[in-house]
Amino acid sequence: MTRNVVHFRTAKGAALLQNPIPAALSLRNVCKTFTQPAVADMCLEVAAGEFYALLGPNGAGKTTTLRMVAGLLRPDSGEIDVFGIDVLRRPIDAKRIVAWLPDEPMLYDKLDPLEYLEFVAGLWGVASRRAQDLSQELLETLGLWPHRHQRCESFSRGMKQKVALAGALVHEPKLLMLDEPLTGLDAATARQVKDLLAERVRKGATVILTTHILEVAERLADRIGIIQHGRLIAQGTLDELRIAGNAENASLEDLFLALTSKRERAA
Amino acid sequence: MSVPPGSFLWLAKHDLSLSWRGFEGLFGGATRRKIIVIVCAAILGVHALAWPVAQWFADIENGIGGETALTAFFASGLAFVLPWIVAQSMTATTRALFTRGDLEMILTSPVSPRSALAAKVVAVAFDSTASVAVLVLPLANANALAGRTHWLALYPALLSCGLFGAGIGLALAMALFSLAGPRRARLVSQIAATIVGGGFVLSIQAFSAMSASTRTWLLALLQGSELPAFSFARSAMLLPVRAALGQIDAMIAWGLIGMATLAVAALAFGETFARAFVISAGSADASVHDKRRRAFRSGLGPAFRIKELRLIWRDPWLLSQIMRQVVYTLPVSVILLRNGGVTSTPGIAFAPTIVVVGAQLAGALAWIALSGEDAPELLATAPVTRAQINARKIEAIGLPIALLMSAPLLALAYASAWSGLCALLFTSAAIVSAALINLWRQSPSHRAKVLRRHSQSKLVGLIEHLASIFWAVGAGIACLGSWTALIPVALAGAVLWFARPRQPRLTSLATA
Repeated sequence: MTRNVVHFRTAKGAALLQNPIPAALSLRNVCKTFTQPAVADMCLEVAAGEFYALLGPNGAGKTTTLRMVAGLLRPDSGEIDVFGIDVLRRPIDAKRIVAWLPDEPMLYDKLDPLEYLEFVAGLWGVASRRAQDLSQELLETLGLWPHRHQRCESFSRGMKQKVALAGALVHEPKLLMLDEPLTGLDAATARQVKDLLAERVRKGATVILTTHILEVAERLADRIGIIQHGRLIAQGTLDELRIAGNAENASLEDLFLALTSKRERAA
Repeated sequence: MSVPPGSFLWLAKHDLSLSWRGFEGLFGGATRRKIIVIVCAAILGVHALAWPVAQWFADIENGIGGETALTAFFASGLAFVLPWIVAQSMTATTRALFTRGDLEMILTSPVSPRSALAAKVVAVAFDSTASVAVLVLPLANANALAGRTHWLALYPALLSCGLFGAGIGLALAMALFSLAGPRRARLVSQIAATIVGGGFVLSIQAFSAMSASTRTWLLALLQGSELPAFSFARSAMLLPVRAALGQIDAMIAWGLIGMATLAVAALAFGETFARAFVISAGSADASVHDKRRRAFRSGLGPAFRIKELRLIWRDPWLLSQIMRQVVYTLPVSVILLRNGGVTSTPGIAFAPTIVVVGAQLAGALAWIALSGEDAPELLATAPVTRAQINARKIEAIGLPIALLMSAPLLALAYASAWSGLCALLFTSAAIVSAALINLWRQSPSHRAKVLRRHSQSKLVGLIEHLASIFWAVGAGIACLGSWTALIPVALAGAVLWFARPRQPRLTSLATA
């Protein structure tokens, strides 16, 4: 239910809602409980071509939400659609157009970046010629081309994260979900990743990321969603969030802290 | 007694406590009290089994030429134990060099690298000796209880073996590191350790493969040579045997040699080890390989086939485990080829061995591919079903198994077509069984734990072993042409029926 959610519509979102193209991601009343409720009655809609940042304190349910979309967890109830495809009923079709990048890179230490990308392309059924061209392009963009023959076991965390990102992009997903993609990266690497994501959005892909680095959300995201205790408590552009928080010139950090502490007190 | 922090004893205590933790880990989440109860029960059980063996040894010892026979038994035992300890030490030293672990922290502290290395080697000596002591010492105890107290000399003799073997293993590993360089040291050392560890078995096989005249000539050379070099070597080789037999002078000498070997190795290689440790840190960069870039291959099957084979081939430790099983099968083929034309005898002798090796190989590779997956979430988010993934993985491991098993199977078929056919059918069945059990009873873990895979689920281990034994017995009986081979086949089928998945497995991965 969206009853308690501060909900705004962006100009880009409004334009997209008039368009018959289905939302890139649509969650309706999604619930997931482990020992405690992790996601409670979550409703969320992300338009195609949007850069959406999901914020929230530790344990708020951000990763659980995205893992359900990626098909790694099954919700207890609710519905999830990706570009109109029901994730629960047609998981294979949904996975074809989705990429998931967890905070810990999923790599094979004994493979080199090119071999890893070849394997990922094989999983997603990308034509070999296309996969090879895309792999070279991605590795060059991310500055990994000189290291293409080195096994991933010798890579730093940042390099591993970049290889995993290349793997997430090599099958040209329409929806890219990233969990804390910039954690532990140096400034230069973080800039490369941010530029690549922005470029993907410009080319029409939808990006959803979770992050604790509020500056990233502030600078890159079309819309920001804030989750707490498994619920979406606010979403919109930064300006819309400022209006909701009655703080015209507040930074996102101030707004985030104000909104989450207000909810914490109410709880 | 408190020992000064940073001293050799302090570090040795730390390493031994880590070894104990590792041992505890074999029991899953069992409490310490439960572990002690299980260990005590196991010790009693092994002693009960050792009692009749001790009586058998007593008969031999009291018979005509008893001492000579006992010397021969101890010499054979030593030929098994010492290479095993050396191989364990080589493996542990190489792993310590490349897997980093706590050594990284210890070597950045102001602790002497010699002390750190000596402590590590002592722990290795303890671990490898303990694995042998479990089988040997109950025999010594049973004999001592029966009044033959000189058997207790096995305790110090075995301890000295541990110290000596660990020192030699360390020296060999460091020599290989220097010779092969950090880039290839891991692979070379693991293969060398495998060959050293299986050295005695291989020698016996090679000896059997020789012609009768060559064997006679070699025996005469070894036994009758009056050359001083030979007599010195014979005397040196018999020293640990005499120590085990309870001869005081030999016990003292062997004990001193063991301690001296370990001390010299630790002192001589302490600094070298520390340097090698630093060099090996960057050697992962050395894993640059085939720079000729071939075109990408498309399709799910090739993707999994290439990935699985690359991951196995590039992991020297895994490779050595697999090699160890293969190395033991190759001499069988040599012998069979040499004895070509013999009727059903080789079939009964070797078909069950081939079946068991095939099952072990398939079990290990299937576990690596299915349970030892490094990136399960990547596969779970891919647009393929779990069934497709499993099928492609099993298909991927099928090729190396087929290649490795073809040599002994062909050799057996050359010796006896019927035995070869039986072995082929039963080996195939055993391989399929092992793969199915690992498919149905997956236990996700790191691939490096392949040899400890059954500690997670002892039931699965039991099922896997039972199935392979039944197929092996079936193969042996089938080689004789008896219909009773159907009995073990039925039993293997029953084991598989028991292992089948009874309900959809609950998994956190909501795959299709």
